[in-house]
Amino acid sequence: MSEGMPKTLEAEVSALQRIPMFQGVDAKRLKLLAFASERISFSVGQKLFSQGDPSDFAYVILEGSADIFINGHEGMVKVAQFTEHQMVGEMGILTRNPRSATVIAASPMTVLRINKDVFFELTSHFPQMGMAVMVELAVRLEQSNARLVEFLTK
Amino acid sequence: MAFSTAMDKSLFKYIWQHSKREQLLICAVVLLSLPFYYLSLDLPRRIVNEAIQGGAFKHGNETVPFLAISFDLPTWLGGAHINLFDGLTVGRIELLLGLSLSFLFFVLINGAFKYWINLAKGALGERMLRRMRFELFNLVLRFSPEYLKQAKSAETATIIKDEVEPIGGFIGDAFILPMFLGAQAATALMFIILQSTWLGLMAAGIVLIQIIIIPRLRRKLLVLGRKRQLVSRRFAGRIGEVFDGQQAVRLHNTEDWERADIGDRLYSLFDIRYRIYKRKFVVKFLNNLLAQMTPFLFYAIGGYFAVTGRMDIGQLVAVIAAYRDLPPPLKELIDWDQQRLDVQVKYDQVVQQFAPEHLLPEPVSTISLDAKIEFGSPLKIDDLSISDAQSLPILSKISFDVPLHQRIAVTGQSLQTSAFVDALSQPEQLAIGSIMAGNVELTSLPRAIRARKIGCVNADPILFPGTIRDNLVYGLKARQIKDGEETERLKIKRQTEARKTGNPLVKADDEWVDYELAGVSSSEELDRILLEQLHAIGMGEDIYRFGQYQSFDPERYPNFADRLIKARELLYQRLEQDQNTHLVEFFDCEKYNTQATIAENVLFGVPTKNSLQGAGLAEDDGFRKVLRKEKLFDTLVDLGANIAETMVELFRDLPPGHPLFEQFSFVSADELEEYATIVQHWNNRRRNVNNAARTQLIGLALNYIEPRHRFGLLDETLKERLVQTRVAFRETLEESGSNSIEFYDRNEICSAAPLRDNILFGKINLVIADAQRLVANAIHIVIEELELRHPVERLGLNHQVGVSGRLLTAQQRVGVDLVRNLVKRPEILIVDRAFSAFASPQQEILRAFLQQKSKEFNATLIMVITEQSGLSGFDFVVNLSTNEAHVEAVPYATQLDNVAPLIAG
Repeated sequence: MSEGMPKTLEAEVSALQRIPMFQGVDAKRLKLLAFASERISFSVGQKLFSQGDPSDFAYVILEGSADIFINGHEGMVKVAQFTEHQMVGEMGILTRNPRSATVIAASPMTVLRINKDVFFELTSHFPQMGMAVMVELAVRLEQSNARLVEFLTK
Repeated sequence: MAFSTAMDKSLFKYIWQHSKREQLLICAVVLLSLPFYYLSLDLPRRIVNEAIQGGAFKHGNETVPFLAISFDLPTWLGGAHINLFDGLTVGRIELLLGLSLSFLFFVLINGAFKYWINLAKGALGERMLRRMRFELFNLVLRFSPEYLKQAKSAETATIIKDEVEPIGGFIGDAFILPMFLGAQAATALMFIILQSTWLGLMAAGIVLIQIIIIPRLRRKLLVLGRKRQLVSRRFAGRIGEVFDGQQAVRLHNTEDWERADIGDRLYSLFDIRYRIYKRKFVVKFLNNLLAQMTPFLFYAIGGYFAVTGRMDIGQLVAVIAAYRDLPPPLKELIDWDQQRLDVQVKYDQVVQQFAPEHLLPEPVSTISLDAKIEFGSPLKIDDLSISDAQSLPILSKISFDVPLHQRIAVTGQSLQTSAFVDALSQPEQLAIGSIMAGNVELTSLPRAIRARKIGCVNADPILFPGTIRDNLVYGLKARQIKDGEETERLKIKRQTEARKTGNPLVKADDEWVDYELAGVSSSEELDRILLEQLHAIGMGEDIYRFGQYQSFDPERYPNFADRLIKARELLYQRLEQDQNTHLVEFFDCEKYNTQATIAENVLFGVPTKNSLQGAGLAEDDGFRKVLRKEKLFDTLVDLGANIAETMVELFRDLPPGHPLFEQFSFVSADELEEYATIVQHWNNRRRNVNNAARTQLIGLALNYIEPRHRFGLLDETLKERLVQTRVAFRETLEESGSNSIEFYDRNEICSAAPLRDNILFGKINLVIADAQRLVANAIHIVIEELELRHPVERLGLNHQVGVSGRLLTAQQRVGVDLVRNLVKRPEILIVDRAFSAFASPQQEILRAFLQQKSKEFNATLIMVITEQSGLSGFDFVVNLSTNEAHVEAVPYATQLDNVAPLIAG
């Protein structure tokens, strides 16, 4: 009946699979994560969130790109750009601290907005997912340690 | 209005007191009906003997007189024979017809009598029941505070509703039945005695034994009956407790314990009932045995006399024949007695629950309700003593003066301050001590006047189910102001019944709201004041939001409806100007609305009947017929199966009760396995999927929204076909003249939909970030621009508060309670820690508002405060402890702390 229809949910699952944090997690779990999340779009210039906001959501970019800004002494400073199949805002929901940066759509974007509570429900119920998050965080820690060593030995 | 004060201890006295006229009347009619009854019994014999067998024509006469009326005077009047009517002269066939017709005539007469008697008895019972229930309710209103603390609401409700019910059924028979049956039994016994003194005395002896023994055996039954009633009442109370305490049960996971407790109670109910049965049927057995003793004796002893020739056989036969008439009334009489006992037990239990020691004394006051009373100053408390349930003193001989028309802070332990607040807010309940406001002794002030003059707000206000407005004007409804609309005929009928049963003559839907007390003259003005005060205490935005989710009847407010349609157009224009029309997918009768569910798309309107809402639509015959006609039935089943399959896949590994289930799943955890089976059968060449299962699947499909659920199930063709179905369904509904759906129409208000949806006339696009907020803003601007805010807020007053106000937040409940008190414009307003639910800046604002208001109206504000909240804005402070009270004037400098900026807020 719906052969010709795009299976949006399936596409979202394959996007999630490309995120390092979710690599190795069963497609079934990712499908539940996607289903329990919202697919929304932002137009250019629209804010995903602002620095200091409470951290309620993580965003997986499905289409488009976003600029990351940090409030400096002379106004907002762009520090990075995120594009397709990258995740933004996940650190905030993990640390439960307010947003540490402002994220603004740099081109028309479609994102998967993952609710903090849903994320925690799933990671706490499915060890595999919790594990994946842990591994990803460990990898990042290692990377920053390496960078620190690099910086100190320069 | 005076209602009776307590129930009579004896049920029969109570029944007689309130229904003797009716009882006597019914009794008279029963007596009157008896001759007709006997005539109708006698006629069949005459028809057979006189007409069919020709007994009347034995002596060769061709004709006989029919319907002759004559009688013999008794001998002491001369014994003459008097003919009133010689009758008609008739032949045999005429006689047969005449007698048969008279038989029919008497049957009708008897039927009519029976009808009247049953109706009168039924009405009598029901009226007594109404009276009893009303009196009990009236006593509930007088329960003393101590008793209210121990009585359970569910138990009291079950007493008034269920326990008195059988009493009502019994009342119609209370006097008539025993009299009637007793007379019957006595006649039969008399007849036997006339036939044979010895046998008669024997029968009488056995009857005597029955009368003496059986009730004795039943005494135990009474005890059991009483126990049963208590246990089942407590059972009802317990269910009520568990219901109210569900939250605690879930929190502590004590379901098993609660189940065990209820199981125990059910067992003891069964056990008592079983013991009752055992006893009851033994008694029944004995009773039957005794009843059969009489014929046994007749046969044995009477037979012996007859065989030995000491008694005429004819006499024995006559006695035995006469005996046939004795047991039935006797049996019924014994049954009646059983019922009487049951009912008496019930009645005693009920009366006990409402015993005078549980009640407040009837208020006695010499002050007229219309008296103009002005509170003077100071407030003089003298020897105020209050103890707790264990007689430990809370306040002991407290005396102090404090000027009224001031802002008075009260500090102290909460036990003391609460007791003080209770005493001051309901001084008529005070046992020891005196409270004077100038020259007015508050403890002897009638409640009606006190309620107008003293308001009290605490942290846990009691709200009743109904709208916010209903709750706000609750304090203005102390007495009926004006009769409501009612036809004269209905009114007379209703009031006659009320008089017969001691019920009030006024109706709850008469006009009760006392506008004068609120200082206004119309409901519009009252609403304005209510809204002003709600705004002042910070509930304006809440009410405004509630208003946006209310629906209203455009025919009652055509002007408002027109303005709303204007708002709809303006909103569209605004969104267009701002190039924001993509935020909303507007309703279009020719297009599929992707942001709405399939059900919403097919209906294209709002169901006015519950049966078409939610999954009910899938069960609607008309809807199914249309689906079949449009060949969409199986398509939707297929779609539902697809959803069910995904649900099973996604949620199977989650434990039941997981929050994600409730939030996101189409099906509940309990149904998941059932759906798994259905899906399996469906995929397996659609076998074994019955109609009910198909309906379930369609029910799932109807909730589907493509952009939200994203299973890729809706293509353009299907959307088009669903729009066609919309048209077809609408046509069928219109053909059948059904108004079960109110269709969307760009130029009309949909009265079944909330106001906000009416302005929006579409669905917000979920896919666009922030659409919700942007659209809400746009709606707000349009409402402001068209000056619709006030009417919207008035609609907001129609918001339902739910049972005990549970649909409101704690702050909102306190807010409603506060305005409910303020609108009465009390001379003294007492606030007892009411604002603890609020954040502290909000508390300060409320406090400043009340202080300012009380100054404005030259009223007194008495507010219990905690130490740390400071004394700004107060004139005096009273520090309470168990044995003494200190009153101090608050220094001027302290009064000014923080006040100025807050009043502006």
